[in-house]
Amino acid sequence: MPISPVNSRKQLNLTVNIGSQPGKSISFTGLAKGAQMKGGYIGANQSRMAMSKTMLIVSDVKTTEKMTISTTKTAIQVIDAHGVDVTPRPLHHPDPHTGAAKPNKLLTSQEGSYTSDFIASYSLYQNTINPSMLGQFTRSVLGSSTVSKSSVSTTESMAEDLEEPSYKRERLYSFTDLRVMRSTPGKTVTKEDLEKTIEIILTETETMRFFNLPTVMVSVESEEAEKLSWRNKNYETLCRNRLGNDLYVERMMQTINGAPKNKEVQCDRIIKEDKGIMSTAWDLYDSYNAMELSSLPVKQPTIDSSSKATVPSKDWDQRAPGSTLEKISEGSSLMDIENVILAKIHNDEENHSDAVLKSDKFQQDLFFMERVIMENIFRPKLAAYRQLPVLKELEPEESEIFLEGEKLEEIEEEVKKEEEEEMEIGSEQSTIPANLERLWSFSCDLTKGLNVSSLAWNKTNPDLLAVGYGHFGFKEQKRGLACCWSIKNPMWPERTYQSPYGVTAVDFSIGAPNLLAVGYHNGTIAIYNVQSNSNVPVLDSSESPQKHLGPVWQLQWIEQDRGTTGDDKREILVSISTDGRISKWVIRKGLDCHDLMRLRRTTSSTSKRVEKEKKGEALISRQAPGMCFAFHPKDTNIYLAGTEEGHIHKCSCSYNEQYLDTYRGHKGPVYKIAWNPFCHDVFLSCSADWGVIIWQHENLKPFLSFYPTSYVVYDVAWSPRSSYIFAAANESRVEIWDLHISTLDPLIVNVANPGIKFTTVLFAKQTDCLLVGDSDGQVAVYELRNMPTGLESSRGDVIENLLQPKSSQSITHHQ
Amino acid sequence: MVNCLSDLFQAEVEETLKRIQSHKGVIGTMVVNAEGIPIRTTLDNSMTVQYAGLLHQLTMKARSTVRDIDPQNDLTFLRIRSKKHEIMVAPDKEYLLIVIQNPCE
Repeated sequence: MPISPVNSRKQLNLTVNIGSQPGKSISFTGLAKGAQMKGGYIGANQSRMAMSKTMLIVSDVKTTEKMTISTTKTAIQVIDAHGVDVTPRPLHHPDPHTGAAKPNKLLTSQEGSYTSDFIASYSLYQNTINPSMLGQFTRSVLGSSTVSKSSVSTTESMAEDLEEPSYKRERLYSFTDLRVMRSTPGKTVTKEDLEKTIEIILTETETMRFFNLPTVMVSVESEEAEKLSWRNKNYETLCRNRLGNDLYVERMMQTINGAPKNKEVQCDRIIKEDKGIMSTAWDLYDSYNAMELSSLPVKQPTIDSSSKATVPSKDWDQRAPGSTLEKISEGSSLMDIENVILAKIHNDEENHSDAVLKSDKFQQDLFFMERVIMENIFRPKLAAYRQLPVLKELEPEESEIFLEGEKLEEIEEEVKKEEEEEMEIGSEQSTIPANLERLWSFSCDLTKGLNVSSLAWNKTNPDLLAVGYGHFGFKEQKRGLACCWSIKNPMWPERTYQSPYGVTAVDFSIGAPNLLAVGYHNGTIAIYNVQSNSNVPVLDSSESPQKHLGPVWQLQWIEQDRGTTGDDKREILVSISTDGRISKWVIRKGLDCHDLMRLRRTTSSTSKRVEKEKKGEALISRQAPGMCFAFHPKDTNIYLAGTEEGHIHKCSCSYNEQYLDTYRGHKGPVYKIAWNPFCHDVFLSCSADWGVIIWQHENLKPFLSFYPTSYVVYDVAWSPRSSYIFAAANESRVEIWDLHISTLDPLIVNVANPGIKFTTVLFAKQTDCLLVGDSDGQVAVYELRNMPTGLESSRGDVIENLLQPKSSQSITHHQ
Repeated sequence: MVNCLSDLFQAEVEETLKRIQSHKGVIGTMVVNAEGIPIRTTLDNSMTVQYAGLLHQLTMKARSTVRDIDPQNDLTFLRIRSKKHEIMVAPDKEYLLIVIQNPCE
């Protein structure tokens, strides 16, 4: 709505009206002015303004007040019908009060009527605006202020505006003060004035900051000091009067909202897609690794996928697309290509599943799985073997966790009690006799019916056991088998080495624990590498010209100092066989053999007779078949050899013709000799004459002999734990002797099932277990239970103790 | 030459599988590929598929846990012992080897 200059006249009217109706009309007109000034009102507002004009005197200014105030923000160019730029000035302008400190420049710069008019109007405008900003004062307050005051203030503010636009509006109190302060000169409006055209020049001000209220400090000595203090006092009184004053009443105003218009817009449906990824620490690690790997040149293999069974599975994904692409490049026609692709895809699928089954990882997993299953099956037995406490499985009916917890505690207590009991028992006399408890037995279909001939532990892996299967007698010869068993899998051997000849001796190497030496009934010695899966021996002595001619009854790897050549300890394989030779095998470029000793026949007569008989004898062979040997645990130069004659010869590696000593005591072939692991002067021997004899090193006569049964004793072994305990296996039973307790009877006797002979014994090193091999191909593992705890059992003075009379023996027992 | 070796492996693998299946207490043995398709199984198809699906997820979670703690580590074996039996899983990127056993004491 164009605003005519009539408004300006109106303003003059307003001023006239001020006197009559101070409150309402003034503000109203002022509002009108304000509207005109701004020009930014919407048409409605202006119309309202127009309306308000008509209602000049009686209108309720409240509404208009607020109206105006709310719509004074925009800065639009408004040109009225006469082409006058009536763009209202921006709302903010500095409050006249801010200029209080400054000298009233305005008063000095009165230029023309328009200024005053403008000023007046402006001041009015300001009047209206100020209260709105505060929201506290009503128009009545405004009304109370005289135009005169406002005009003055406006002039001031105007000047400030023009000169220093940085002033911000002040609060009303200052304004009121200002108003109070000022004395407005009355201006009589004549009719001429009303019809005069008033030029109003509107200019844009600079940007102003809102409400910067810096503290204004005035020196007490300045001119305005007095005024200021008076103003301040006035304000204080005003504030005090504020409460409960009619002039300060809260009022509300309703704004009329513009009619909104709805506009609808339709657009294509926005398709959303959610994508999520979980970034885990290992994902990042993998990505970085892949980046590093891809930076290295990687050649895509182009060979057929079937031959890649050994390639690790990670490359599989890279391979498959590569191989299919290859096939796609072949073929001439589309049909062919499709067929080829289809065929290859099918093949790939098949290959996939086959490759899975063939992959090494799968084999390994199967291996582990089998062991895990074994662990489940044999759990208590294995636990007993490893001497772990066995917790009984809880009853399935007990479902409450609390109960289970209690039970566990009970079981633990029970175990503790048992242990305590055992300790008590041990310190006193055991009420339960020592016994062998059978844990499990190594056997499988392969070994059924074969005779166990030798047992040997691996030197580094205490769970690995080598078992040799082969018959002793010549007539009973069957095929032979050497197996490696693991404690973790008692149902299937880890390795099997088959041969047509019976195996008579096995031993693991010390220096290279993966080498297993196997001696056969036909005299050959083979060395297998247990780590590999192949069944072919690494070395074989079958082609060697110096191989044994008779069954190799014992093999042992010995570490010897080769002091002469200055080398370190070198390992040699020593074998003894029926052809009377004790040979030493060295692995150089194959098995190389040197004879350590040739066993000669000797008789049990005195030395004199020996000489005679040497001349007179017409023996077919002067060799005595060797059955067993044992190297001294400390001095590996000295060893004992047992022969078929029943003699045990003490020999040295330095001499290969002569014996150092001969121990005569047995009447039949000596099957096994064993040095006492603690007392190095004592050794044990067993023979086919049903006897077990304990010898003393210096004494050529037997020290103690045992003839418990009338069966051949095949094997003896000292216990690794006690120097008094040894085990003997004869045909019908296994006996455990404890010399500390009795030298007449064995401590434990385990009778064999009828038809089965016990052929070998071996003690387990770390545990209290005994392995017994029998003639049915089974190696049974027994646990020695309730063994009398040996007091100082590893003492070396076994013989002295045994020699002592019984009274002192009892004393030592109670130490 | 290479094929012979792989055939050897295959034979040994078959033998080992047979042995495992015949062990005491073993209820079922399954070899399932990465997509859940059974390669070898001694149980019926529905059970196999169910086991494969569920154990696959569990294995993934277990592997993720292990590797989150230390990315250089990896899961090698998983055993779940329940009241009735024990499920043993040997996981791999390509396959899952599952054995269900009733451990007898």
